Amino acid sequence: MVKHVRNTALALALGAALGVMSAPALAGASDSDRLNELQQKLDQSLKMIEALSNRVHELEAHQPAATASAAAPAPAPAPAPAEAQRLDTVEQKVAQIETANASRRGDDTGLPIHGFADVGGGTHNPYNPGLKGANIGELDFYLTPTIGGNVRSLFELNFEVSPGGTVGVDLERAQIGYQFSDQATVWLGRFHTPYGYVNTALHHGLWVAEALRRPKFLQFEDHGGAMPAHTVGAWLTGALRNGDGKLLYDVYAGNGQQIQGGLIDMRNAGNLHGSMMGGGRLGYQFTGGALEGLTLGVHAFTDRIDDDQMPANITRLKVYGGYVVYDTDSWENIVEFYAFNNEDLTGNTGSHRSNAGFGQFAYRAGWGVPYVRYEKAHFDQTDQFFAQQTNVNSGNSYYRSAAGVRFDVNLKSAIKFEFANTHQTDGLVGQYNEVLAQYAIRF
Amino acid sequence: MRTFVRAILLLAVFFADAGTAPAAASTAVGARLDQLPQSWRDDSGRPLELATLTGRRVILTMAYANCHKFCPMTMASLRGMQRALDARGEAAEIVVVGYDPQNDKPDVWRQYRKTHHLGRDNWHFLSGSVADTERLARSLGFDFWVYDEHVMHGSRVVIFDAAGAVQRELAADNGHWDAAL
Repeated sequence: MVKHVRNTALALALGAALGVMSAPALAGASDSDRLNELQQKLDQSLKMIEALSNRVHELEAHQPAATASAAAPAPAPAPAPAEAQRLDTVEQKVAQIETANASRRGDDTGLPIHGFADVGGGTHNPYNPGLKGANIGELDFYLTPTIGGNVRSLFELNFEVSPGGTVGVDLERAQIGYQFSDQATVWLGRFHTPYGYVNTALHHGLWVAEALRRPKFLQFEDHGGAMPAHTVGAWLTGALRNGDGKLLYDVYAGNGQQIQGGLIDMRNAGNLHGSMMGGGRLGYQFTGGALEGLTLGVHAFTDRIDDDQMPANITRLKVYGGYVVYDTDSWENIVEFYAFNNEDLTGNTGSHRSNAGFGQFAYRAGWGVPYVRYEKAHFDQTDQFFAQQTNVNSGNSYYRSAAGVRFDVNLKSAIKFEFANTHQTDGLVGQYNEVLAQYAIRF
Repeated sequence: MRTFVRAILLLAVFFADAGTAPAAASTAVGARLDQLPQSWRDDSGRPLELATLTGRRVILTMAYANCHKFCPMTMASLRGMQRALDARGEAAEIVVVGYDPQNDKPDVWRQYRKTHHLGRDNWHFLSGSVADTERLARSLGFDFWVYDEHVMHGSRVVIFDAAGAVQRELAADNGHWDAAL
C-alpha cells in the first residue's frame, strides 16, 4: 500500500513536471513555434510512457504470481486505445475551433480599417520650402465597406498637416460605385481625376510610391499642385482585354473647380454657377510579349474655373497630354506631359499656352530602389488660372532635379531619402537645395 | 505499477490538451487541403481541386501578377525551396494562389510563368472567385487588403504533408524563406 501510494505520488510529480515544461510554450513564442515545441514535448512524453510501460511488463515478467494476483479487470492495452481516442477527439475539436475562428476573421459584415502614415524631416518641408525641420506627413485611413453584390465603396479619410502647419481632416476620396463587369465600373463621389498615370496609380498613401513625393506640379491641391487632382462627379472606368494587352479607358464629369485662398478647390458641395468639368483618358497596357510592362496613354479635360477675386476671373481650361510607363519587377519608369491652352473668359486676354512634364526612372534592386527625376513646368503668369494659385507658389514656373532612394525596412515600412535642387523661375525667383527623409508605413 | 503508468498518461494528456489550445486565428493550424475551397483553375484554364494534390508535400503561398515589390522575392524563395527539394530527390507540388481574382486570370498567370521562367509541371498558379480566394486566405492566415490596383499583403508559405495536413507554416517579414526546408 505504501509502495502504491509512493508510485502514484511519483507519477503525479512526473506529470506535473511535464505540465510545467509545457507552460513556457504556452506563454510567449509565436503560434507555430509554440505548437512545434509542444508537439516535441508530447512526443518525448509518449516515449517516456512507452519506456515505463515496457519496464512494468519487465517487472511483471519477473514476478508471475504477483502479476496474476494483481490482474486488473480491464486488459493491459485498454487504457492506450481509450486515451488515443480521446486525443483524436481533442484534435478534431481543436481543428473545428480553429476553422470556426478562421472563418469568423474577415466576417463580411465587419469594416476592416487599413491605411498609411508617414513622418519626415529635412532641410525643408517637402511641400513648403519656407519651412525646415521635422514634419508630420499624413495619417490616411482607407475604408472599403462591403455592401454586397456588385456595389463598391471606397473612402479615404486623411489627417494631414497643411503647408502652413495646421492639422486638418479631408475626405480625400469618397466613392460609391457599381461594377457592371471587369470592363465597366461607374463611380459617383469624389475621386482622383483620371489624367496621366501618377494621379490615379499613386494615391495618398506614400508607402505605395517608390519616390518620396510626387512631382511638384502634380502634388495634391493643398500641397502645392497646380492641377485639379480631385473631381466631384461621376466616373466610368474599365479595361478591355485584347491579345497581349488591354485597353484602358476613363470618362468623367464633375463640378467645375474654383481657386479659393490661392488653392484649387474641387467644390465638394457643388459650385455657384453649375458649370462642369469633363474629360477622358485612353491607354494601352502591354501584358505580354517584348513590351510587357509598357503602358501608353493620352488624356484630355476641360474645366471652367473661377476664383475668389472681386470681380472673379473665369478661365476655360483645356488640357491635353500623354504618358508612358514602364513598370516591371526591375523598373518603374514614368514620363508624363501636359499642354495647357487656356482661355480667359473675363479679362479679354485671349488664350494662354503653358506646359509641364516630368520623367522619373527607378530601379528595383534587391537592396533598395534608387531613383532619379527631372520635372519642369512653364506656366504663363498672365493666365489667371496659374497667377491666382499663390499658396505655396503652386502656379509658379520651376524646374527641379532630384535623386533619391527607398529602403524597405520590412513588408510594411519604408525609409526614403531625396536630394533635390529646385529653381523657381516665376514669383520668388531663386533656387534652393533640399535633403529630405521620410518614414512611411502601411497598416 | 499500472496505476503509475495510468497516472502519467492521464496527466500527460491533460497537459497535452492545454498545450494544443486553439491557436490565434492568423495561422493555418487545423487546416487541411481537402477542407479548403476546391474550385480553382490553373494557368492553362483547367479546373484543379487542391485535394487532388495529396500524396506529395504541397507548398502553398499567395501572390498577385501585378506585384513588383515583394512577390518577386517570394518567387525567388520558392525557387530556392525547389532547388533544395531537387537536391534531396524529393517531389512536391508548389501552389501559388492569386490574391486578385479580377486580374489574376489563367491567361495572366500563363504569361507570368513565361516571363518569370516558372514552367515546371509541379508548379500551379491558380485563379478563383473572390469568395473562394478570401476563404482560402482566411483559412490559411494570409492577411491581405486591396488598395485600388495594389494588393497589400504579407509573406508566408504553408506546407502540407502528403496526407494534406498542415505540416509547417512560415512567415517572413522580407519575403525570404531560405531556410524553410
